[in-house]
Amino acid sequence: MEKENIIIDYKHRQAGHCESGATSNLFNFHGVEMSEPMAFGIGNGLFFSYLPFLKLQYAPMMSFRNLPNTVFHRSTKYLGVDATVIKNFKEPKESMAALDRNLEKGIPTGLQVGVFNLTFFPPEYRMHYNMHNLVAFGKEGDNYWVSDTVMELPQRISSEDLQRVRWAKGVFAPKGKMYWINTINNNMDVKSAVERAIKKTVYEMLKVPFPLNGVKGIHWLAKDLKKWPKKHGNETASFYLGQIIRMSEDFGTGGAGFRYIYGAFLKETGEKFNNPELIAASVMMGNVANHWREFTYLSARNCKNRSKPEEDYGKLSNMLHEIAGMEKEVYQKLDKIKI
Amino acid sequence: MEDESNPVYKNQAYGQFRELFYSYGSNGTFEKRVGFHDESDRVTLQQAWDLFNERIEDARLKVKSGKASPILYYMEKTLVTPMDLSMHAGIMVWRVKRHLKPKVFNRLHENTLKKYAEAFNITIEQLKNVD
Repeated sequence: MEKENIIIDYKHRQAGHCESGATSNLFNFHGVEMSEPMAFGIGNGLFFSYLPFLKLQYAPMMSFRNLPNTVFHRSTKYLGVDATVIKNFKEPKESMAALDRNLEKGIPTGLQVGVFNLTFFPPEYRMHYNMHNLVAFGKEGDNYWVSDTVMELPQRISSEDLQRVRWAKGVFAPKGKMYWINTINNNMDVKSAVERAIKKTVYEMLKVPFPLNGVKGIHWLAKDLKKWPKKHGNETASFYLGQIIRMSEDFGTGGAGFRYIYGAFLKETGEKFNNPELIAASVMMGNVANHWREFTYLSARNCKNRSKPEEDYGKLSNMLHEIAGMEKEVYQKLDKIKI
Repeated sequence: MEDESNPVYKNQAYGQFRELFYSYGSNGTFEKRVGFHDESDRVTLQQAWDLFNERIEDARLKVKSGKASPILYYMEKTLVTPMDLSMHAGIMVWRVKRHLKPKVFNRLHENTLKKYAEAFNITIEQLKNVD
């Protein structure tokens, strides 16, 4: 069966975030209309964590999203969809054979990959980031057709390269992880899924008893931000400040560290279930996202002029505290809403 | 988000891809648009690459003057720390750090060199010579 060409009729749509884009496209392939914000919201993607003791590319690590594969796993779980996730394989060859078997059966399959050796990826993003997702949907000779939602069009990648990125090593190593949807029954209970998802997001952002997660984490980051220029000097402080912006804006977030996407999710559900409270919450989330953008604009000036900061770090820190306060209000409002 | 590409990046290959962005208008609607990154986002990305390139150049000079082994150069070139490299190559951290010395590197066994070459995705010949 080696040299046979298989191309599944899979519709590629560009998206802001790789995993929720892949999830929504997979749902669409199985005949359920689902937008990207909807997949992101039900899949519980929104998160914040600040991990100063871990370094990612020489700067403290922070994340605006949940752990890899949360979006697919939770959205299928909450919606009661029959899906399969294979977490790790023992052998690279075995993982490629499993992918081939799936393609022969006509199942588009989601893969977790590392970005560094991904040949078609924009060169400016090629850093060691192992939490990227793409969907393989065809094989032509030795090449695979993959749909990467960051790119505008589907891409081709050789099997050797695909195997290398699927077995990228380091933190959060994918180990050939793959996932797909088996069947979907048509009467899904979207309402209760949304309710559970919002509850879980509120829990993760407000109530987890750990100071570096959620809203508390943003406050902690704001406190640290103030100390950076004294502790590390202006150059390093501006590089660390740049890290916040890189994580929130650059790496496929749809803008403002996923806050825009989550706002769009709240608005869509509000319109779907005729709930004015949810629409009001979406307006608040939109304002929060615009504040994150403003924070980006101001901080970028410090990054441009590294040795002489133009903006006061104290002011930026206050701004982050304010953003954290605004986010807290949104989650407290969401906590009370009954859908 | 802007329509033009690439005014900030020093490398011309950067910033040629259009991405999808969401935005929020004051009338309460969320919009999707395909375009390029804002200048503020590009500034920070270029800042990161400036630092990486600086480190790579430093490492290259060190290797040329015989103060460090070629592993340091390839380590910086693939943007990893000794900790990451130990995971990529399957060699313990303290050994990786020791192999950064040229004296130790010259005595390395072929198998160890092969592990490093695989981790960097190059041949052993390339590993021994830094351009």
